Amino acid sequence: MTLQIDAVREPSTGVAATQARRATTGRTVATRRLIGLLLLAVPLVWAWQRAVPAGADVVNRGGLFLVGDLLASALHPQLSPGFLAVVLDATVVTLTFAALGTASALAIGLAGGLLLSDAAWHQHPPATVRALRLLVRGVLVAARSIHELVWALLFVSVLGLDPLVAVLAIAIPFGAQTAKVFAETLDGVPAGPLQALRNAGARPLPALGYGLFPAAAPLLLSYSFYRFECAIRSAVVLGVVGVGGLGQELVVSLQSRNWNEVWTLVGAVLLLSAAADLWSTRLRREHAVVTCSDWSAGHGSRQRPGRARWARWSAALVVAGLIAAWLASDVSLSGLTSPRTWELTGRLLDDMWPPALPPGGWPALAEAVPDTIAMAILAMAVAVAITIVTGPWAMRPRRAAMDEHAQPVRRLLRGALRWTARALLLVLRSVPPTVWAVIALLGLFPGILPGALALGLYTGGILGRLVAEAWESIDTRPRDALRAIGTPGWLAATAAVVPPSAHHLATYTLYRFEICIRDTAVVGVVGAAGLGRLLAENLAAFRFSTVTILLVASFAVSIASELLGRRLRDALRARATV
Amino acid sequence: MTENANLVPFRQASGDAPPPAVVLRRVGRRFASHDALADIDLAIHVGERVAILGASGAGKSTLLSLINGSLPATSGDVEVFGTRLAGLPLARLRPLQRRIGIISQRLDLVDQVRVLHNINGGRLGRWSSVRALAALAWPHADTAAIDALERVGLAWAVHERTELLSGGERQRVAIARLLLQEPELVLADEPVSSLDPTRAAGILELLCAPARPITLVVSLHQPELARQHCTRAVGLRAGRLVFDLPADRLDDRVLNDLYTLT
Repeated sequence: MTLQIDAVREPSTGVAATQARRATTGRTVATRRLIGLLLLAVPLVWAWQRAVPAGADVVNRGGLFLVGDLLASALHPQLSPGFLAVVLDATVVTLTFAALGTASALAIGLAGGLLLSDAAWHQHPPATVRALRLLVRGVLVAARSIHELVWALLFVSVLGLDPLVAVLAIAIPFGAQTAKVFAETLDGVPAGPLQALRNAGARPLPALGYGLFPAAAPLLLSYSFYRFECAIRSAVVLGVVGVGGLGQELVVSLQSRNWNEVWTLVGAVLLLSAAADLWSTRLRREHAVVTCSDWSAGHGSRQRPGRARWARWSAALVVAGLIAAWLASDVSLSGLTSPRTWELTGRLLDDMWPPALPPGGWPALAEAVPDTIAMAILAMAVAVAITIVTGPWAMRPRRAAMDEHAQPVRRLLRGALRWTARALLLVLRSVPPTVWAVIALLGLFPGILPGALALGLYTGGILGRLVAEAWESIDTRPRDALRAIGTPGWLAATAAVVPPSAHHLATYTLYRFEICIRDTAVVGVVGAAGLGRLLAENLAAFRFSTVTILLVASFAVSIASELLGRRLRDALRARATV
Repeated sequence: MTENANLVPFRQASGDAPPPAVVLRRVGRRFASHDALADIDLAIHVGERVAILGASGAGKSTLLSLINGSLPATSGDVEVFGTRLAGLPLARLRPLQRRIGIISQRLDLVDQVRVLHNINGGRLGRWSSVRALAALAWPHADTAAIDALERVGLAWAVHERTELLSGGERQRVAIARLLLQEPELVLADEPVSSLDPTRAAGILELLCAPARPITLVVSLHQPELARQHCTRAVGLRAGRLVFDLPADRLDDRVLNDLYTLT
């Protein structure tokens, strides 16, 4: 679960702008549209055919009654005091993992962000720093392209079932992502004040203290809280490995088909997630970044004047919470330095080299890669469908001239609908994808489809929120202008609001697709399909030489999707600005 | 001409006279294939107040950046306080820049911090790193800071957050920062183009009347203000110098030529 900040693109120089512009013909536009539609349709059809081969059985009729059982027991969650104590305990453990993981990730992120940011070096990093950067960039890309869960599985084989596994598994990929985002945030701060200080003769370090950090701090802070929110979700997912917390309890209860317990745990996950989610949203809204879209568009919105009391209290709470988490948890760094760990690490690295093909050889690998891609494509299709259906209702109401004429009953109805849509999205993204996958696997045969469905539900919850937040920021004045000259409401909306909305949706879909590819590892672990499943199987069988090749393959797929996604997003942005 | 007898450009440079604050010799600046400035010859003496006039895109901002050294010239020589800027290492450029105050329409204030920190930005060059960072952590308004703010009429705002101030107040914060920097040369890039006439006059008066005589180079869009506040006016058109006159000799004919599109 990552949120990427795109670097601000420099506007094209005046030279290009002064050149005479060629007129675009209607035919060119139509051709481009057609190509775009084909680009959209071909992968979808391909993925569907791959997931559901003609004549194959998809629905597991034998398992359907289990889904029925599951749903029926929703009304009777397990509420015995003994079990509630277990749940509370697990909640504290999950929170601890998230807090310590985020704190370590932020330390990595701050160090890496300063190193990678040009602004921190006043646009002129010395040669040694530039050389170091190349190395650090490579390490960070590799670290964040491997999913938290895979990191956890690797650490388990070295550290055993130590809580440190969960903390490290969150800290490393989150730290790598945070470093990238922090560097881009620092570089995205308006350069004027810093330059002015330097021109007035300020020394490098004080100039950063006066000109860069105060301006970047709100953005860095709100991103940190967003990371914490993501870390809670990740900490639940990591439970699958067996290091404790709500995730572990969930998997245990699911596998022993204790549906009543499952519902209690799902309730706890929902509460925790919802609290973190609302807190982080509130903080971001109040403090610096109004929506996540501000990040991915590369510009922070201007901070609202006034003291951000929320942020201050939150920061105090976080520091206290961190200390409590450290004291309460049995996380200790001794595991890192023990000779046993070093020996096992040595053995693991030894086992991982030379790489070997999975059982089944190249064909198995050649099957798994397209399976992974197909799963991600179908998952995105599900997520987009969820977003289109719920997104418009989940938005906060926009003040429009017509609203004043709306009847109270209608307004109440809209309010109820809004909260329903938001709650639905919250549930979708709060329940870990592993749980969705286990549920999907009850009714569907293992394969691409249950994985895609699980991932799609989860991603839908996230995409829906991101897109709804972005939609809230769309300028409605063009629509109001159309209405003011007598255009019917729906027509005005179609003409003025739908194009930017579609653009937001496309941008976020591409961006989530990159993450979705990575996330296929999660549902793979519980047996869906693709590279994730192969990874889990081979890790369980201690075939580490095969794990190496699978990691390299996931890395390649992940990089390829990131590069492709960036190209497409750049193309979209170029079209939007022209 | 008698009232202009003290104008430096008309004085013959004698051996013991201080070097001119700024000397440009056949200076040009080229962006890709476009000449933003070409063949500029200009000497600005200590104590002069020079208005730079010209239509948008004539090269006014580029000229100021060249003088400050933040933009290197692509041809010719720029000399500031007797030092040639071409090829000057950063370590030697910085002390020079410390003596040059800049104020632009963008103001370049940090919105998120208190006014005190923003005006302290002017004297960070004289402070050690430790002192600068300590002042950020424990804000202390000393007499110099209060003094600077008093002169712009903002003494009450020392501990206000900068973003809470109005546009005019922010402009005056930027000037207080300039006053604290105590520059010998002030480069002002259209400092008043977004202000109403009364405010604009007030700002220019502040710029023109610091504690000790300084050199001022200001780009303006209003010839009237140049006549009132400056001693000399320089006209730029399409990157070339078209006139260089005492400010009171600016008349409609000269200005018409300047703003006529070619």
